[in-house]
Amino acid sequence: MNRLHPFSAVVYALRYGLLWLWVPFFLVTALAGTVAAVSIAWLPVVTALGFLFGAAYGVVYYYRFEYGITPDTFDVASGVVARRSREIPYRRIQNVDVRQGVLQRVLGLAVVTIETAGGGNSEAALRLVSKSEADRLQHQIRRRTAGVDADDSDRSTTEASEDGRPVGDEPLDEQPSRVDGTAEAPPVSETRPRREPTEPSRKRLFALDSRELLLYSLTTLRPAALAAVGFLFFFATDTVLDFLVTLSQPFGGPQDLQTGDTQSYGVLTVVSMVNGIVITYLVSVAYTFATYYDFRLGRVDEDFVYERGLLQRYSGSIPAEKVQSVTITDNPLQRLIDYAGLWVETAGYGPDSSGGSQSAVPMARAAHVHRFAENLTHVETPAFASPSPIARRRYLVRYSLIAAVVVAAALALAQVTPLERWYLAAVVFAAVPPAAHLRYVHLGYYVGEDHLVIRRGFWRRRTTVIPYFRIQTVSTRRSIFQRRLGIASLVVDTASSRTLFWDTPTIYDVDLEDARGVHRTGRKRLQSALRERARADDAGFSVDFT
Amino acid sequence: MESLHPRIRLLWIAQTAILAAVLGAVLVAVDRWLVPVPTAGLVGIVAVAAVLGIAYAVRLYQIWQFELQGDALYLERGVITFVETAVPFVRVQHVDTQFGPIERTLGLSSVVVYTAGSRNADVRIPGLTPDRARKLQDTLRELAVESEADDAV
Repeated sequence: MNRLHPFSAVVYALRYGLLWLWVPFFLVTALAGTVAAVSIAWLPVVTALGFLFGAAYGVVYYYRFEYGITPDTFDVASGVVARRSREIPYRRIQNVDVRQGVLQRVLGLAVVTIETAGGGNSEAALRLVSKSEADRLQHQIRRRTAGVDADDSDRSTTEASEDGRPVGDEPLDEQPSRVDGTAEAPPVSETRPRREPTEPSRKRLFALDSRELLLYSLTTLRPAALAAVGFLFFFATDTVLDFLVTLSQPFGGPQDLQTGDTQSYGVLTVVSMVNGIVITYLVSVAYTFATYYDFRLGRVDEDFVYERGLLQRYSGSIPAEKVQSVTITDNPLQRLIDYAGLWVETAGYGPDSSGGSQSAVPMARAAHVHRFAENLTHVETPAFASPSPIARRRYLVRYSLIAAVVVAAALALAQVTPLERWYLAAVVFAAVPPAAHLRYVHLGYYVGEDHLVIRRGFWRRRTTVIPYFRIQTVSTRRSIFQRRLGIASLVVDTASSRTLFWDTPTIYDVDLEDARGVHRTGRKRLQSALRERARADDAGFSVDFT
Repeated sequence: MESLHPRIRLLWIAQTAILAAVLGAVLVAVDRWLVPVPTAGLVGIVAVAAVLGIAYAVRLYQIWQFELQGDALYLERGVITFVETAVPFVRVQHVDTQFGPIERTLGLSSVVVYTAGSRNADVRIPGLTPDRARKLQDTLRELAVESEADDAV
């Protein structure tokens, strides 16, 4: 069993020290008011004692934290008082991530996290090992994961064939052919069940060039930026308000918040809103830029490996056989300049808020991204079917109701504030028909030979390619209104992690007969695809997709 | 298609009664400390909630059906949103039988089927007799093992 890097002892000591010094602090502060024997003058001493206790705990934690690589499992034993020892079978590991913050990069240290499909967070986190150890672990675990899978697949050895189609119908003794010409790892064969641990070479699949990085930063809006700006405002309200007042003065804003007439307050509101939007946008651009700076995607054997980040450096690996579905994302701006992004989804939890979704290609020409997706999944170019035309009418009604709510809210506001002409809010009705139309035209689905392709969303359009063999459950849903209109929504669930921003792929508002048809097709093809895969042992995804 | 045990209506009605009681308690609290609520209104709101709940329970029982099909467990349920779900046996991770305190009093059990999916990750069939629940659990387990896929996540 190995220990973490000795520097972690310092980190844990500081962390637990800073945590524990508050316990006696609050205890003494609380007791000093009620118990005569306790004096507030003890504070410096007890906080120091609390810190020392915490620091000692941190050091012991370091000594009691052990991890090791065994032939079948990755083991982690931790805990000072209550011990926990965890064994993670290699074949259950979804991805291994290495993260380096600024200070950690200077010191040559890294955090390794290991993700499996279960649970809501990382299965194991090795906080602070040296960078070389992190790379060694990542490499070792990847190799062993591949080794386990190679052992399992003694039925057949063929990988994706030349034309990228599954090879289930071809004779098994056919010479395995690789998509790339550079056959760096020897193909697995029956005579050699376990791959020799040759140093796998890393092949570059995609790198984000500076133009793409800039375009990506400028065209992507991150909810996190909004949260960050809101957080800043919450903690430095006075400073921010002064700043906003100062900024609005050249345009006729008030001298300060107390003195001002209706007009200058109006100017302040408008200028502050513009400022807020601009600042949020700039934060978002900076965040995206720093996160995806120097993004590189490569392959090692049958794994995707990626690296990115300006200040905090991430690197991770995703086994191709753990990929559940592939999604192309674009927003209106990106569609305008004809760019798009490609994401792969696994059941694990990534370092991002985006759950198990990892960006494979953050931004590239839309045509390239579509080609990548087709190479990666072997899906044919989809010919999208539209949902039932009744759906458009449904959205018209739905958005009209929302607009009515807005007008009602304006009316209610007019009752309690000196707001006049509340009925001007009715202009939102003008947005209803285009909104309904846009939602409708961006919906689409395609029932392919081996895949289901589902497209939805206008602001953040997502086109998800789901191989039938990744389907977990299918549900046909009909609300009261849908039943009246004879339409249904089909929810196709995969094992991808659920998150706030990535909904389950759903085919919205198609005719009930169509929904039932896709439901049946999905179920049937899941079974036949599984049978075929059992024979052919095809990963279903080509690692060399660019 | 198999229906649930008729006693499940009692369970749902009991749950509604609890909810209605909570609603009543909240209204009484509002009446005491915030704004006066007329007693007739209070009783009326609770009564309407209870009647709606009972109607919902009866309708839900009429709608709820499930079936073991060739490749999947198939369920139909939902009053407001009617949902037809197919859970392929290959996708079953594990199967539980559970019963809460009210269910136990009524002599009922639930079978919970877990998949690796992100949505409806657990499919619950309530209102089975303990015998039926155990039999269903066994059948599902056998079918799941039989159709084991090797692409587990």
